[in-house]
Amino acid sequence: MRTACVVLCLSVLVACGGRSGSRKAIQNKGSDTLVNVAQTWAEEYKKVNPNVAVAVSGGGTGTGLSALINGTVDIANASRKMEPKEIELARKHGIEPVEFIVGYDALAVYVHAKNPLPSLTMAKLAEIYADGGSISRWDQLGVDVPDAKDSKIVLVSRQNNSGTYAYFKEAVLGKDREYRMGTLDMHGSKDVVDLVHKTPGAIGYSGLAYHTDEVRMIPIAKDDDSPAIIPCEKTALDQSYPIARPLFMYSRGQPEGEVKAYLDWILSDAGQRVIADRGYAPVRPLPEK
Amino acid sequence: MSQFTATPRNHRQHRRQSVVKAIFLLMTVLLIVPVLLILTFLIVKGAPVLSFEFLFAMPENGMTAGGILPALVGTVWLVTVALLASVPVGVAAAIYLSEYAPDNWLTRAINLAIINLAGVPSIVHALFGVGAFVLFFKFGTSILAASLTLAIMTLPVVIVSTLEALRSVPQAFREACWNMGATRWQTIRKVVLPNSVSGILTGVILEVSRTAGETAPIMFTGAAFFLPFLPQGVLDQTMALSLHLFVISTQVPGVPEGFPYGVALVLISLVLLMNAISIGFRTWLRGRKKW
Repeated sequence: MRTACVVLCLSVLVACGGRSGSRKAIQNKGSDTLVNVAQTWAEEYKKVNPNVAVAVSGGGTGTGLSALINGTVDIANASRKMEPKEIELARKHGIEPVEFIVGYDALAVYVHAKNPLPSLTMAKLAEIYADGGSISRWDQLGVDVPDAKDSKIVLVSRQNNSGTYAYFKEAVLGKDREYRMGTLDMHGSKDVVDLVHKTPGAIGYSGLAYHTDEVRMIPIAKDDDSPAIIPCEKTALDQSYPIARPLFMYSRGQPEGEVKAYLDWILSDAGQRVIADRGYAPVRPLPEK
Repeated sequence: MSQFTATPRNHRQHRRQSVVKAIFLLMTVLLIVPVLLILTFLIVKGAPVLSFEFLFAMPENGMTAGGILPALVGTVWLVTVALLASVPVGVAAAIYLSEYAPDNWLTRAINLAIINLAGVPSIVHALFGVGAFVLFFKFGTSILAASLTLAIMTLPVVIVSTLEALRSVPQAFREACWNMGATRWQTIRKVVLPNSVSGILTGVILEVSRTAGETAPIMFTGAAFFLPFLPQGVLDQTMALSLHLFVISTQVPGVPEGFPYGVALVLISLVLLMNAISIGFRTWLRGRKKW
């Protein structure tokens, strides 16, 4: 009995002597918007280079950037630009973040499939979402939403460490306005779409890639004189859709070795095809297959 | 009228007794209902997706197809390493507290610390794990860091249940042994431990169940959203069933409806299987008990 125990312990210790021999691990963490693309990149990259294991984690842009600052990841995914004070903090830790734009995301405004609203302008969207904004009922927009209680607009938003939350605030509300109190703050891009699908009177914002047949995307116009644009890859890339943003990856210093090879592959046609298939816009138009 | 004839008062008390008993029975049944409902629900929804491929294939197509092998293997790794770390420490601590420790302020302080450790929320353990194991000891986000965090979290369970097991060994056994001239260690080795092994195992079973299901402590310390490979050592990161369940039910679009239930079913079956093995082993040990 005792011998068996000793043998077992020893064999376990020998078996797990440490990190897997020749395989290089790349740590990749951050934005929930990018996490599914990052996951597919990691999955596909296994076929390109089986000697590199890319470990992907989500948690939000803030989570990824603070991990980069702490030096626990090789690449951080971010759905917004790194702030000056974050860069400064990274430098204090001896890390010089290097920025890569890996794709573009259009933030679609979703409503229930039965909602007849034809389009919105950026100004109206701000009145809906901003604290002290003047629009809180669907009939103020001249539409009758079936099953919406008292025609009330149910606001769906994101948790405040999300890059999507920060970007929507910056693009729609502007610097001086805050979100209205009492928004329903979801912890994932998919949750927003799910909730909008289940709530007839709801409106919510989330990545273009999270579109399902059960919700409708509202075309958005820059102002009263501009045409309303439906979000899609093309309108995100040519910036005609007003709520489109670049997606970033930050490396710890100038990338070298396997990390560089991985980032180069992501920016290659093969890597960009992955992000396009996932419903985001690639950094440049891709050649036909 | 005989003095043994039931008076109206007796009847009333008897009725009251029946009512109270019925209420207590109802409460007990209510306790079982959620368990049965959860299991039935999981089996109905999850069983259709279970297959050899689901268990033993890598995830494919952005985790919307293929299997859950890396998560399954990862959970086994995490639980095993956590057990290897916490059981020796926990049992040794319990033996000291039960067999050697004098009843003084230090012992009382240690006992208080153990009780408090049991009350610390798991997310706080996670934070501690990040600070201590990931950053300070530089294990990085790895199985080692995650398992040690889990081990610290479950240590109180092991200590408390081991203590109870040791205390259930009659004091007379020890005294008889000492009277034969045996040292304390000989007594522990030959008399106390063999007679309390089944109780100690109970603690281990509880630990396994808790460890396998925890998500918060491993989220920041070692579990990944996705990994294209199986872990090969304790310094690798890993996927885990509990986190995988969270991920595919909230983060990934286009996952087939049965997948999350399938993962939940596998997780719960894994825990039940481990429990069943330990309970079987325990019964066998108890059968050999001489008193």
